[in-house]
Amino acid sequence: MRWTGRVKFLFLLPAVIWVLAFTVFPLGYSLYLAFFNIETKTEITRERVPVLDDAGNPVLTSSGRPRTRSIVHKEQKSIATFIGFDNFERAFSDNQVISAVKVTAVFILTAVPAELILGFCLAVLFNRRLFGRAALRAIMILPIFATPIAVGYLFFTIFYEEGGPLGFTGIPFLSNPDWALASVVFVDVWQWTPFCFLVFLAALQSVPDELYEAAVVDGASGWDMLREVVLPILQPTVIIVLLLRVAEALKLFDVPFALTGGGPGVATQSYSFLSFRTGLRFFDLGYASAMAYLLLIFTMIVVTFFFRKLRDTYA
Amino acid sequence: MLARHLFGSTLAAAALLATSASAGQFVDWKDDGTVDLKLGPNYDNVVINVKAEDMGGLFGPGKKPFEGAEISITVNASGPKGGISGPLHAFRPVWEELSGGKLTVIELPFAEHYTKMMLDLRNGSGQYDAFLVGAFWYGDIIPNGYAYPIDDFMESGDYPYWTHDVMPPALKTLHTWKGESYGVLNDADGQVLYYRKSMLENPEHRAAFKSEYGYDLPSPPKTWQQLLDIANYFNGKNWDSGDADPDSGMVLHLKVGEQGHYHFQSLSASFAVTPGPKVDKYHNVYWFDPTDMKPLINSPGHLKALEFLQELHKTGPAAQVGWSLGEAWDYFLRGKSVFVFSWGDVGSLCQDTSRSKIKGDCAAAILPASEEYYDMEKGEFVKVANPEPVGNTTGGSWHGVISNFSAYPEATYSFLAMMAVEPVSLWNSQNGWTGVDPGYKYQFLEPFGSATVEDYVAAGWDAEDVKTYTKAYQENFYADTSLTYLRIPGSFEYWDILDKNLSAAMGGSVSAKEALDNTAESWEAVTDRLGREQQLEYYQAAIGYGD
Amino acid sequence: MRELRVGRTKGDSLRYSIYSLIAICVALMFLFPIYWAFSTSLRNPLDTFTVSGIGIPWLNFEPTIDNWVTQIASPEARRALTNSTVIAVGASLVALVLGAPAAYALARFEFRIIGNKDITIWFLSQRVLPPVATIIPFYLVFRFLGLLDTELALILINATFILPFVVVILRQTFLDMPIELEEATLVDGGGYLTSFFHVVLPLAAPSIAATGLIIFAFAWNEFLFAITISSRDAITVPVHMAGAVDTRGVQFWFMGVRAMIAMIPPVLVALLAQRYIVRGLTLGAVKG
Repeated sequence: MRWTGRVKFLFLLPAVIWVLAFTVFPLGYSLYLAFFNIETKTEITRERVPVLDDAGNPVLTSSGRPRTRSIVHKEQKSIATFIGFDNFERAFSDNQVISAVKVTAVFILTAVPAELILGFCLAVLFNRRLFGRAALRAIMILPIFATPIAVGYLFFTIFYEEGGPLGFTGIPFLSNPDWALASVVFVDVWQWTPFCFLVFLAALQSVPDELYEAAVVDGASGWDMLREVVLPILQPTVIIVLLLRVAEALKLFDVPFALTGGGPGVATQSYSFLSFRTGLRFFDLGYASAMAYLLLIFTMIVVTFFFRKLRDTYA
Repeated sequence: MLARHLFGSTLAAAALLATSASAGQFVDWKDDGTVDLKLGPNYDNVVINVKAEDMGGLFGPGKKPFEGAEISITVNASGPKGGISGPLHAFRPVWEELSGGKLTVIELPFAEHYTKMMLDLRNGSGQYDAFLVGAFWYGDIIPNGYAYPIDDFMESGDYPYWTHDVMPPALKTLHTWKGESYGVLNDADGQVLYYRKSMLENPEHRAAFKSEYGYDLPSPPKTWQQLLDIANYFNGKNWDSGDADPDSGMVLHLKVGEQGHYHFQSLSASFAVTPGPKVDKYHNVYWFDPTDMKPLINSPGHLKALEFLQELHKTGPAAQVGWSLGEAWDYFLRGKSVFVFSWGDVGSLCQDTSRSKIKGDCAAAILPASEEYYDMEKGEFVKVANPEPVGNTTGGSWHGVISNFSAYPEATYSFLAMMAVEPVSLWNSQNGWTGVDPGYKYQFLEPFGSATVEDYVAAGWDAEDVKTYTKAYQENFYADTSLTYLRIPGSFEYWDILDKNLSAAMGGSVSAKEALDNTAESWEAVTDRLGREQQLEYYQAAIGYGD
Repeated sequence: MRELRVGRTKGDSLRYSIYSLIAICVALMFLFPIYWAFSTSLRNPLDTFTVSGIGIPWLNFEPTIDNWVTQIASPEARRALTNSTVIAVGASLVALVLGAPAAYALARFEFRIIGNKDITIWFLSQRVLPPVATIIPFYLVFRFLGLLDTELALILINATFILPFVVVILRQTFLDMPIELEEATLVDGGGYLTSFFHVVLPLAAPSIAATGLIIFAFAWNEFLFAITISSRDAITVPVHMAGAVDTRGVQFWFMGVRAMIAMIPPVLVALLAQRYIVRGLTLGAVKG
């Protein structure tokens, strides 16, 4: 039974207004940038004025001429021309964009399932009495909160092929395009498997004893119990973990930035990385905004699909 | 201009005689007409002595001409003892004492420096007063009017004295634009070849090489083809006693997004540039056709060079595809590779025993040339028995350019100029950690320049190393033919595209031909987007076409 | 704690040992990179790539604290630490102040036009928004307001993106709290506000604190916005880390120290908020 009353708006609205201001508005602006071609022309004129001392007399330089100062006048004019879907069309035929989509897709399709499966197995493993379990669990928290950019640089030293700790394997972690992508996946798996693990562990532990006991009485084996009892209960958990991981994975930026710079070639250039570089390295703002928008639309589609399944969790 | 300088310095000298010597913590004006610039305990208490008159009319004992000025200068991040940024930190207190102003050194990651600078300039916010730019950024700064021309400063006699006359022509061009000066002397970049002399002159190896390849091992190699043979010979053998692992022939820093593409530029110059007396449609051009802006990057000469680089890559560790300067240089400095071709920093780092195991065995030479080049006019490859070396100024030649939106251009210039005075510049180039590489007359050995071996040795150099080092750079910067430098709007974007494609080729994702063809195609799109007519005009001006 | 078997047998001790061993190995594997950062930070430049074994200090190489000393002594590092702290704390406070009441409203009150569920999900969706889509407008707007390179700008941005955590987690917390105490307050004549400030908040304090710690960690780790907005004054620790990459390549010995400096605060904070981690990370969907 919930309350009503106008005061509810007092509680809720500040947060809502904040979010609207800080997301809806920028998104709208982004859309504007994507549809228009904005040219900023800066007119710069320089004016030389003589330097005068306190008495108003001109000051001389060491060579005897009057010293001058420059005053810079700048005038910025922005001209926006509507170009319709040009930027979006360009994105669809741009090789780099297509490659970035492939990279991101491969990344998601390998990293996320790996994390989920590994996390689940570990959760089953830890879901029992173990020596120092609390400490072990605490250790597993560390990778999740390690600053991603730091992790990226860190793994650069770990994957270092000529003398790093994994150098003995002779694997070209960062110099071979396919291995480089695998390395990025590996780093992500390292960082986020513990997340899946913790969540699944918590979910496993919330399964009531009675269900297990009833299953045992019915003569179920370990496997059966897993399939018939545990997995169905875990379904909402799997969905939320999947959702969060996919959404995060689409944003992949920090690790390629630090670990490979997007290379070799463009083998690890993720979509977000490309969009960022296009916008802020080459100042192709309209195009970068269009690329970002395409990502946004895609994310929304994926997420809506998940949210339908999740709604009931938020009753 | 000389007359004005004399007049100015006479005035300054007169003013000096009238005042007494004064000593501060970092600056010590002596009675003999010189001034000591003291760097303090953080920098080994180094003292650099400069003629007082060379400091210009504004600086003097007791004078604080820029009191209250607060300036900030951006630079590639390397820390207080790192390349390019190090000297800024070292000389900051000196300048602050001389001027009364305050300087903040803004270190930015290499990958973001250009971005941050452009953001500041496009907004005209004037947050930074000067930038230690790479010369290839000029095309995006100068034509837009973002930079402050410094000819007036140089001529006024007010500021510390330095001149373009000490610069080889190729470098002088990089500091000016259409006749106006914008850049203040600092670093001089170019790639030379470094090699382990003891290995190339080792009698056993020489004998084995001769029996395998049929000719005497040239030390240093004069052609790229000879170098490849030598690199192949040494690769995979454990010729270095430093460790038990096999060593390599050549090491490269190919990491994408860093400075990997410069290897290709320097190497391909002698494959792709058609020498000639002037710059015209066929001769002395490398990047674009100067009549229609069509990319030349996928011409047969360039392609052959890339395929050659791929062969050369095999004589080094496979991991170098992901290596930036630090890793590659470290590999060479630890003694694991016979060759490396890169900037002057390697020569100086060789002398630093905390980083290098090969001091005294680190010789340098101008880059080899190719035995054949592609003649654009004839449309075929031409073989040359003794090819002339082609010089290069690849790299950034990082130097200061003042922002047109700066509130204190005079104060800013006084700092940059102070770092450019001869004694300071000479000291910078002799101390490897500064990242400032030699390229200016006084930095070369007598009789060509004015530096002596003793000076360098006193600064910690091995005598033999420094002789080959300075000679290599001297030959490089004064070579008859030189690789033209790309300084047009969008240079960064063109090079980024080339970089990514080169990296893909070196990593094996695409063939050399595909990589260069893709580059040419992408370049056409960029040219069209930026405006073909305009780009053509800038390109012609940048390379001296039709002069 | 659930066992899949009821009762204790001899086989259990063996099982206990084996599984414990496996678990320890797994934990060590996950811990290794962090240990490696620590080991790298103690090395001389020449040793960086040449240590044998797994780089145990004293065993495999001579450790030095020079790197730590130089890095922490540098004013840039100190400024980065201060900035990061101010920004992360500031953003967390803003998010808590805005989010806690909103969470309460969604837990206790009924919304008609747009249902509670949908509003909650709308907040949640902010978390899946790709930052790239907003980064250019943010840059342009802050430039217009003259707020570029200020801590304030980063506080505002970070607050926006950690707010969803607060709303969704605390909403669950409030839903779990028995409503009787609040009703008692209302009956006694206090208003909703009194009940919120005097009854609810104190009771929910541990959860609020934990949420604050978690969002602090996320704000601390943020990189994309930080590197775009900051250029000098507002540089954060992650951005400072990226600055260890320079014209001469990655300076690995610094990298170790900087990585440790970057990672220690959020990790410590996460350990403090352990109990709430799962709830926090799944935005309330799964109770830890």
